[in-house]
Amino acid sequence: MAYSEKVVDHYNNPRNVGSFAKDTPGIGTGLVGAPECGDVMKLQIKVNLETGLIEDAKFKTFGCGSAIASSSLATEWLKGKTVDEAAKIKNTDIVNELKLPPVKIHCSVLAEDAIKAALTDYREKWASARAAADSK
Amino acid sequence: MDYFEVFGLPRRLGLDAAELQRKFYELSRRTHPDFHQTAPAEEQARVLETSARLNAAYRALRDPIARVEYLVRLEEGRDTKEGAAEKLPAPPALLAEMFEIQEALEEAKAGGLEASGGEALRARREELAARVRELEANLAGPLSVAWDRATPEARARLLAQFKDALATRAYLRTVIDDLGQALGEGQDGHVANRRH
Repeated sequence: MAYSEKVVDHYNNPRNVGSFAKDTPGIGTGLVGAPECGDVMKLQIKVNLETGLIEDAKFKTFGCGSAIASSSLATEWLKGKTVDEAAKIKNTDIVNELKLPPVKIHCSVLAEDAIKAALTDYREKWASARAAADSK
Repeated sequence: MDYFEVFGLPRRLGLDAAELQRKFYELSRRTHPDFHQTAPAEEQARVLETSARLNAAYRALRDPIARVEYLVRLEEGRDTKEGAAEKLPAPPALLAEMFEIQEALEEAKAGGLEASGGEALRARREELAARVRELEANLAGPLSVAWDRATPEARARLLAQFKDALATRAYLRTVIDDLGQALGEGQDGHVANRRH
């Protein structure tokens, strides 16, 4: 199957590969997977607790080219967004940007799930710290 | 008509494999397309469809694990083509472990798989394979027996257990395949070509 140019680009030069220590203030971690294809995707956001903006994002994905490209693209899009804005990223946006064929749509779903999981983790851990910063 | 009904069987996980085979052969003879070559096109098409369905039903029911998979879909109203393609969600408890194994695999690959690295992965693979066998034995044995005896209320809990075990099995099998390929074994695994 032929990959789109953008998928190949992300696959060959994945952006933001790596990880943050998950207990550092402002870090939200999402870990998701797909049993049938064995993929595992870890996506992390680093939120500035003063401004509420996502300063940085990292991922590490074990899976096919589309799964890697989807998560790589997701980390690019996350940077600079607020948590609420980030929650609006949809898998269909990823499908359109990467021109994923129908058989690879589940990879984009996985990336959306990873974003959601990271945001949830962030909220659970750091929402109170963030609220404290806002009330200063 | 669901696959159990195709064979005139009740919706139970415990079934007699020999009887299922006997029924399959009997029904196959009746619906084999070769015996209907002179029939009108319409009837031929119908026979072909019946025959295809019979084969699918037999494949789904003769293997105890595939039978559980089918039962789960049937119970959830997903016994359709789309339902069959629907994936089970990953059990959260398993994800960290899968990630860690893939990471270890990557490191071992980068460092060459000779000597100790390869040995550790081999041992890991054996351990995972043993877990798969255990899961399968539990699915085909005690859990299947429990299902046939369960009250409707208890079935919801059993269904959840089935799904968790099936998803775990799928995950472990994929990772076992990955390890096998990295170690230069098991090239013909069930998902060897899934990554395009």
